[in-house]
Amino acid sequence: VSDVLSKSATAAEIARAVAGGKVKATAVVDAALKRIEAAEATVNAFTDIVAERARKRAAEIDSGLHCGPLAGVPFAVKNLFDIAGLPTRAGSKINLDGPIAERDGALVRRLEAAGAILVGGLNMGEYAYDFTGENAHYGPSRNPHDPTRMTGGSSGGSGAAVASGEVPLALGSDTNGSIRVPSSLCGLFGLKPTYGRLSRAGSFPFVDAFDHLGPMARSTADLALSFDAMQGWDADDPVCTDRPAEPTCARLSEGIDGLRIAIAGDYFARGAEPEAFEAVATVAKALRATKTVVLPQAAVARSAAYVITAIEGAQLHLPRLKTRAQDYDPDTRERFMAGALLPGSWYVKAQRFRRLYRVNVLKLFEEVDVILAPATPCTAPKLGQVMMKLAGAEMPVRANLGLFTQPISFIGLPVVAVPTRQAGALPIGVQVIARPYNEQAALRVAAHLEKQGVCAATPA
Amino acid sequence: MADDKPDIARWVDEGAKAIGLPIAPEHRDKVILNVERSLMIAAPLLAIELDDELTPGPVFRP
Repeated sequence: VSDVLSKSATAAEIARAVAGGKVKATAVVDAALKRIEAAEATVNAFTDIVAERARKRAAEIDSGLHCGPLAGVPFAVKNLFDIAGLPTRAGSKINLDGPIAERDGALVRRLEAAGAILVGGLNMGEYAYDFTGENAHYGPSRNPHDPTRMTGGSSGGSGAAVASGEVPLALGSDTNGSIRVPSSLCGLFGLKPTYGRLSRAGSFPFVDAFDHLGPMARSTADLALSFDAMQGWDADDPVCTDRPAEPTCARLSEGIDGLRIAIAGDYFARGAEPEAFEAVATVAKALRATKTVVLPQAAVARSAAYVITAIEGAQLHLPRLKTRAQDYDPDTRERFMAGALLPGSWYVKAQRFRRLYRVNVLKLFEEVDVILAPATPCTAPKLGQVMMKLAGAEMPVRANLGLFTQPISFIGLPVVAVPTRQAGALPIGVQVIARPYNEQAALRVAAHLEKQGVCAATPA
Repeated sequence: MADDKPDIARWVDEGAKAIGLPIAPEHRDKVILNVERSLMIAAPLLAIELDDELTPGPVFRP
């Protein structure tokens, strides 16, 4: 067990030590704040640090006021989550002139109810329309494994904060891959739950049809711990499921017996660098998965996800684009403007196709429980890199880092991104995909891979 | 057929007028580029046919 005051401590280790009286929550929080102070010049993960609030909360925990499965665990949230007393930046400059949040976002409240301690808000790509983690207003979040490289985005600060060891746990959002892409490039475990599973109340939206929130951490157990603490119906998010919570922690160590695991072929087996497929092969071998399945029309799914994103996102921002265009990040502004000019018929067709694709993909889950696919087509590109080579073809970085994540979030399937790493190389992730509401299966697979030593969040 | 290609610059200029979106001259080229990219990425969706009976999966519950 690592020293719970060190940067390698997991949320589970900290909570055990705090609950067992072996360490004070105040000491844990002070250590985290010191690490943040030391690492920020390199990783640029935080935009807001709520030190006073965190210390007060920690003192309350030490005096026995709060307890729970995450007692004393410091965490931070992508700055599209409401934090009481702060404007909800959502990566923008414009929102600084917007309302000050009166209370924390729903998931922040649930994590704190479980004993966790919020230490701050994290950098992100502007308005979440991003796969790079770059931001013209606040600077890019930088990859702790190589600070000249991207974290991936848009939950870039979440990736940087957890991979650098500033905090053991962060929340991100994932519309088309914004949890899974930075998890892959930063070498972390990330959970994008089923669409509607976790409340989005008190977070700044991007594309209602695809917006998901979820945790990023350095172990599967931490994903499960936080996921379980955040589950449950919330009247404030009309999309939030009223299914009862299905706790995952207890069954995490059950292994993979009884789970039918397949590899995604066709679309998910081409158009990327060799390391993406090697990562899938490594994970598949460890799971003894040999069967290949084809998600029918995945390329169309990616196309439709793009169309819905462009049009819904643009519609949300149109009033601001009309009056404050100059205050947008140059890397999002013209994409939002272009989205506002796309035909409505494209949008409706994309939504109609979505239903068909869902039916066809769910049929696959009659034969398999888990599907493996690459998380990103390559390891972390250089900061500022605009084009990249994928399977010999020059492609724009921004649009293509989410090539493999988009067709999955399109129909809201739960995914755990698991990290792999070859000696001497940068980390790269694999998507462990399950049927709707079966986060349990994906988490069990991730826990098994971690136990086998196949997947690990390696120190930065 | 080259003639079938839309004039995207005109699409952007007229579309922006229609929805009352001012586009500054220094932003215009990148908007045009992004509409071009959108056309390319949307192509697989636009190429398929869907049955009339296929309606979207609604989330809204009254």
